[in-house]
Amino acid sequence: MRKAALLLSSALIAAAGIAAAATAAAEDRAVIVKGFGAKSGVVRSFGINSEAAMRAAAELINSQGGVKLADGGTGKIEVEFLDDRCTAEEGISVVRRMASGPTLVAIGPTCSNVAEPLFGVLQKKAGDATDSGLQFPIFTDVAIKGGLAKISEWAFRNVPSESEMYTSLFRWVKQTKPELNSIFAGVEENFAHSRATWYAVMKEAAPKAGLEVKGEAKWLLEDTNFAQQVREIKAASPDILAIAAHPFTTCGVLKEMRRQGVKVKMLIGLTSSSSLETLQGCAKEADGIVIPTSFAPVTQTAEAAAAQAAKYNGSLDLHSAATYENVFILKKVMEEQGVLAKPDTVQADREKIRKGLAALKETDGLLGKSKRTDDREAVKPYLYVHAKDGKWVVLHNPVTN
Amino acid sequence: MGFVDYMQAVIDGLLFGTTYSLIGIGFTLVFGVMQKINMSYAAGSLAGAYCGLVGPQLLGLPPWSVFPLSIAASGLIGYLIYLTCFRFIPLASPLATLMSTVGMLLLLDEIIVHSTAGMPQNYPAIYDGDPIVLGDFILRADLMGVFLVCVVAMAMLLALLYRTRLGMATRAMAQQPVAAQLCGMRLQAVNGLTFVIAGLLGGVAGAMIGAAVGMLSPLIAGPITVKGLIVTVIGGLGSIPGAIVAGLMVGAAENLFQALRNVTERDIYVMLLLFVFLVLRPGGLFSGARGRD
Amino acid sequence: MDFYYSLAQIIGFHTLLGLSAYIVLQTGQVSLAQAGFFAIGAYVAGMLTVLAGWHLVPAMLAAGLAAALMACLVGFPALRVRGLMLVIATLAFGEAVRLFFFNFDYQIAKGGVKIGPLGGEGFRQIRWFPENGWTSLEVMLFVWLVVALVVAALWWTDRSRFGAVLHAVGEDEVAAQSVGINLTAVKVTAMTIGGFIAGLGGSIYAHYTTHIEHLNFNVLLATFAIAYPILGGLRSVFGTIVAVIFVQGFLVEGLRFLGDWRNLLFGALIVLAMNLRPDGLIDAATARRLARLFNREHRRA
Repeated sequence: MRKAALLLSSALIAAAGIAAAATAAAEDRAVIVKGFGAKSGVVRSFGINSEAAMRAAAELINSQGGVKLADGGTGKIEVEFLDDRCTAEEGISVVRRMASGPTLVAIGPTCSNVAEPLFGVLQKKAGDATDSGLQFPIFTDVAIKGGLAKISEWAFRNVPSESEMYTSLFRWVKQTKPELNSIFAGVEENFAHSRATWYAVMKEAAPKAGLEVKGEAKWLLEDTNFAQQVREIKAASPDILAIAAHPFTTCGVLKEMRRQGVKVKMLIGLTSSSSLETLQGCAKEADGIVIPTSFAPVTQTAEAAAAQAAKYNGSLDLHSAATYENVFILKKVMEEQGVLAKPDTVQADREKIRKGLAALKETDGLLGKSKRTDDREAVKPYLYVHAKDGKWVVLHNPVTN
Repeated sequence: MGFVDYMQAVIDGLLFGTTYSLIGIGFTLVFGVMQKINMSYAAGSLAGAYCGLVGPQLLGLPPWSVFPLSIAASGLIGYLIYLTCFRFIPLASPLATLMSTVGMLLLLDEIIVHSTAGMPQNYPAIYDGDPIVLGDFILRADLMGVFLVCVVAMAMLLALLYRTRLGMATRAMAQQPVAAQLCGMRLQAVNGLTFVIAGLLGGVAGAMIGAAVGMLSPLIAGPITVKGLIVTVIGGLGSIPGAIVAGLMVGAAENLFQALRNVTERDIYVMLLLFVFLVLRPGGLFSGARGRD
Repeated sequence: MDFYYSLAQIIGFHTLLGLSAYIVLQTGQVSLAQAGFFAIGAYVAGMLTVLAGWHLVPAMLAAGLAAALMACLVGFPALRVRGLMLVIATLAFGEAVRLFFFNFDYQIAKGGVKIGPLGGEGFRQIRWFPENGWTSLEVMLFVWLVVALVVAALWWTDRSRFGAVLHAVGEDEVAAQSVGINLTAVKVTAMTIGGFIAGLGGSIYAHYTTHIEHLNFNVLLATFAIAYPILGGLRSVFGTIVAVIFVQGFLVEGLRFLGDWRNLLFGALIVLAMNLRPDGLIDAATARRLARLFNREHRRA
């Protein structure tokens, strides 16, 4: 009898859970923009920051009158952030859930390994009747692995072009420090983003700037012992060491270098590592590391945005800054394309947003205007920061200097 | 890559391998007593290490307080795991325990991620001095410290098990649970105690891993669990000396494989090493006291 | 509705993963290698539809056979180890398969673009379904047709002589041997069938996510594979399906409204479930009650 009761109650709870999943909140003239990304695992801080940035941006827009809709009405942006746990399955599930409801557009994902499968699920060419892929616009803020927006005409990204940033960084380094001639790398081999950034971006850009590539040392994302790799670095004795890895292993390598007394003349890091995590893990060893980034609180708008995001318990960095910018860009696109935000115009609104995003030639960013490419990617203003005394300090701003 | 590099790799691996030995011993201790594997053991040890950080970060205690706090916390977590995953599940359902400890592993992992937002936490080293240079070889001073602490911990454990009444009770319960209970020992108390002891040992392992790596991250839990299990099996389920030797062997082997081939293939060879053992010596290096599965 | 169709698809290939572990568990072997066979199925099917232009159904069958072959090869050495040693040995095998794909490059140029698996970067653009205009509903029906066939086959097996042999080996190997059952043949057969089912599941997975990489087939997936039959109960095939619906439908998707708490509850609820029902959601007693329920209905009709 007890077991039957248990079984019944479990079934009821399961049903209630699934029902709760089904019923979206009854919407009035709400403009539903959802965010999704990783709020679990080692990348949880990315999701927290993106959500905070989204809410901050939405609050600002709503307080200034919201979105002007095509028929004269006003729409208030309603934000919700869904956790995809940095897995492809859940990312696709989350987007399909959004696409089945009144969501007009989604901002995300955090992880490149979610973005790639997700974009593959979308319709490849907009309007292609033979392609039954999902017709739902996605405006990416964080997933930064190169060349992903090419996969589908419904995928748009507002992430910095690593190719552009590193090419210019190497050129600047060669200009200001002509005595530096050789570069060696440390690469996280089993993480697509780190790997791609060294082999496809940095390794190509360095020789073009006149730097000699001496090779690379490899390790895995979760490795804890770098003695061998540091010995390889020592043997190569390069002028510049480029570390294409995330904070955990970056710090591991730097600590091992300190232990073995291996020094290089300049350290260059991965864009994603210009964050709090690196400073928290190894501020002392990482002192001086130069990283190109598309965000630092150097303009008034940037500082104001950072303060607002802090109200929602998130910090603004190059990733969440893009989330913030995306909300504003979407507002503009929705107003230009005449979105109606009515329950029966959802798909039409999505197509308008897609068309609008595709037509953009430039967008407003926190550091200035960004250009949009035909590939649906962004070329954002960037600057170089370096770690000094436990903080990220602007080293050089190519725009103003 | 000369001979010196390979020897150096082996030396580094041996030093770090003591942490694998400790984790392996922990798995094997629980197996010896309960004939079940506690999949959440490594995660519990790491969680204890994280708890130790509460001392300097939240309570303002000096940095060295991390170590005793980590160890104590792990002991406590070990007992909690016993209560939630072993105490109430009938002995005849080994699969249920396997699953419950997996659930516990996921839960501990999530708790760590939630409380630290997934960010790596700095962990003090045992000894931060310069490396010792012996001719062509470099010995990391802090790894020597880790090695020493682990050896001391293993010695203390063996002393506890073989020289104290507590240890005798644990061994008796492991070898003959029915007879032990007939002699008046309380099953639940002794089993719980075993988990606490294993937990304390895991705390040392977790603290030493943190000290050796210099940072704690949720990323560490998975690979340590897998390697710990491999060490336990190679050493022989239920055998402590086996776990010690196997830990050193796996530590040295993986570094050697990395030096010989490259980092992306390294773990394939570690798996192959395990298979070789399973084919040639299915009981492990030293078969456990009962040799049962 | 599209979301529910896709959720049903997810439940579908996870069921196949769970069933592949279920059949092996029937013989008393706990195999954490099913994620490895799943991976083989995924990569082989993906390569056949993308690189060789095959239709999905023959690709799936070929993938299933490839995985089955691998499982057969694993089944023999697996005989040498028992119990928890087998768990760890199969875990190591699964990891070895994952690491193989981590190092596996096979790209061919098609129309100026290189396609195919590229080691750590994975295998992208496995878009057979959308390229052939299949709607979500059609894919779901296809997936569940495959699942239904597998479930029917396993259900029938449970009731057949072969099923009795499997259970006998699972319950007591010595007794089974003493009545003349060939342990080797039974265990390896179960492993092979499990591999085939996992291969089918993997091929569907690859075409669902359109991009696969080695990290998808990690220890966590292997653990899910045995979690489903253990959570669901080993008495009945339907236990596994119920467990998959519980985990994927309720714990993963249903609890989304709890936000951050969902992840914490995930592990906690599994621990709770195992404490409350150590023999699974559908254990022997429940299975009997359900059987009686259906028999009563049957007799009334």
